[in-house]
Amino acid sequence: MELFLPIAHMDVNIVLILFYGALVGFLSGLVGVGGGFLITPLLIFTGIPPIVAVSSGAAQMAGTASGASYLHWRHGNIDFKMGLILLIGSWLGGGVGVYLAKILLRAGQFGNVVVFLYVILLGFIGVSMLIESLRAVLRAGAPAAGDARATLASKSLPRTLVERLPWQTAFPASGMRMSAVGPLVLGAAVGMLTSLMGVGGGFIMVPVMIYVLKMPTKIVVGTSLFQLLFTTAAVSVMQAGVNHSVDPFLALILILGSVMGTKLGARLGARLPAEKLRLILALVVVAVAVKMVVTLVIPPADIYDMTIEVR
Amino acid sequence: MTLGLRCLLFAATWTLQLPAWADEPLVVAPATSEVRITTDFTGTEVQAIGSMRGPADLIIKLVGPQQEAKLSREIKLGPFWVGGDTVKMEGAPSLLFLYATAPIATILPPAEQQKYGLQLEGVPVHLEPHLQAHAEDDWRKAFFRLKERQGYYHEDDTAIKVFGNRLFIADMRLPGDLQVGTYTVETLVVKSGKVVGRNVGEFKVRLAGIERRVWSAAHDHSWIFGGLFTLLAMLLGFALNAIPYRRSR
Repeated sequence: MELFLPIAHMDVNIVLILFYGALVGFLSGLVGVGGGFLITPLLIFTGIPPIVAVSSGAAQMAGTASGASYLHWRHGNIDFKMGLILLIGSWLGGGVGVYLAKILLRAGQFGNVVVFLYVILLGFIGVSMLIESLRAVLRAGAPAAGDARATLASKSLPRTLVERLPWQTAFPASGMRMSAVGPLVLGAAVGMLTSLMGVGGGFIMVPVMIYVLKMPTKIVVGTSLFQLLFTTAAVSVMQAGVNHSVDPFLALILILGSVMGTKLGARLGARLPAEKLRLILALVVVAVAVKMVVTLVIPPADIYDMTIEVR
Repeated sequence: MTLGLRCLLFAATWTLQLPAWADEPLVVAPATSEVRITTDFTGTEVQAIGSMRGPADLIIKLVGPQQEAKLSREIKLGPFWVGGDTVKMEGAPSLLFLYATAPIATILPPAEQQKYGLQLEGVPVHLEPHLQAHAEDDWRKAFFRLKERQGYYHEDDTAIKVFGNRLFIADMRLPGDLQVGTYTVETLVVKSGKVVGRNVGEFKVRLAGIERRVWSAAHDHSWIFGGLFTLLAMLLGFALNAIPYRRSR
């Protein structure tokens, strides 16, 4: 079933796009990542111009995140105070990121910086998550002795640093007390990545909230989605306004697909134990990093590539 | 001959355009004056129907509107292949189809081919920024290679059917991803290595229906469009999740 996309200016198979949406929605509902790091490459492989893929992906993430956020809100999984602080950070970081992107674009280095950022970040986060969650899964069967060791290990250096920062405040929904500086900086870093990499940043935010801020995994997923919703919505509006690159048909099909996937993911996520959720996210992140390294190392079929500038 | 075709030929005779130097009367009626790109557009077939006098070879050149393309080249950096330099290619048509009754190289000498722009790799392309001659040549070759591989530049000596040495029909298959604008159809009659008749027609490709409206909205009122559409996307995502959820409670 083919559909002509007016902004991407090409026809696509509706079923394929629905499938992409479902895949990303499934991950989103399961582990709280928006899936921008997955949907953008998938759309580009299909032949959709990169800027349209990034922009329509943002619109899709806003749509998916609004639905998924609602579900998490109903389950009481969102820490709104934390979410708002993150959001302030990510909007500030996003503004800086846009400016940085402009400088890099002018120097002609934007594409390379993006790819290496992807590989380094995904590789580092994915591998450390994978090791940690594998340990947790293996430990899950063992009795209390293992837990005591885990608590001891959690008094790590970043954690003590966060404890010493100013602006200590309570986050009742997460059942914890910490400095507002931590989430603000995290939000800013993620916002910068949103501008540079066209991702919601969930794949960075979720692990940092779990491992550095030590928030409960379920609250992390809901709060990350809440932050994602407003970040991607802002990006979608700006991309449409500045670059005319949001394709409504593409985004709507992706949303339809992702809603189906999200439900499946959220239902499964409620049943699966936290360490298994983390293991799944770790595996996905590592897989994407490996795929990117492979494409970097394998010689291209044709070293030349063509993109059409204006239609 | 069908009634439609007869009417078409009749109409074509009225609008007969005689080239100043025509030795051979040639009448061509493109059956399409407009290609409309709508939701289910996946490419289309455009026909050119015409008549000529006596046995001769025919060449039909279909040229799409100009298009600006950006070419990038990957370079090896240590073990990695990364994006290297980029060059803008300007002035080349977005599409170039050469149809003929026989391979063009066998019916026209190179000088004539060049004169009428009948070489796929002979179209003028301007590079931005300007490079040294041999470097520009590499980029040009890559441009034509990619255009041919993507199916936008090609030569075909089977698409024209000639009936009784007088009447001909050419079926030209256009791809789904078309540059919007004016396409020209140039028909040449070739006899013993010389062009002896020529006719030029054109048709337009444009977005139609909801595609046109969406495109205009996204370009003319981009901020409003972006704001409203993002809101719609959020509402849709919300509604699709929330409504069944409520019902199940």
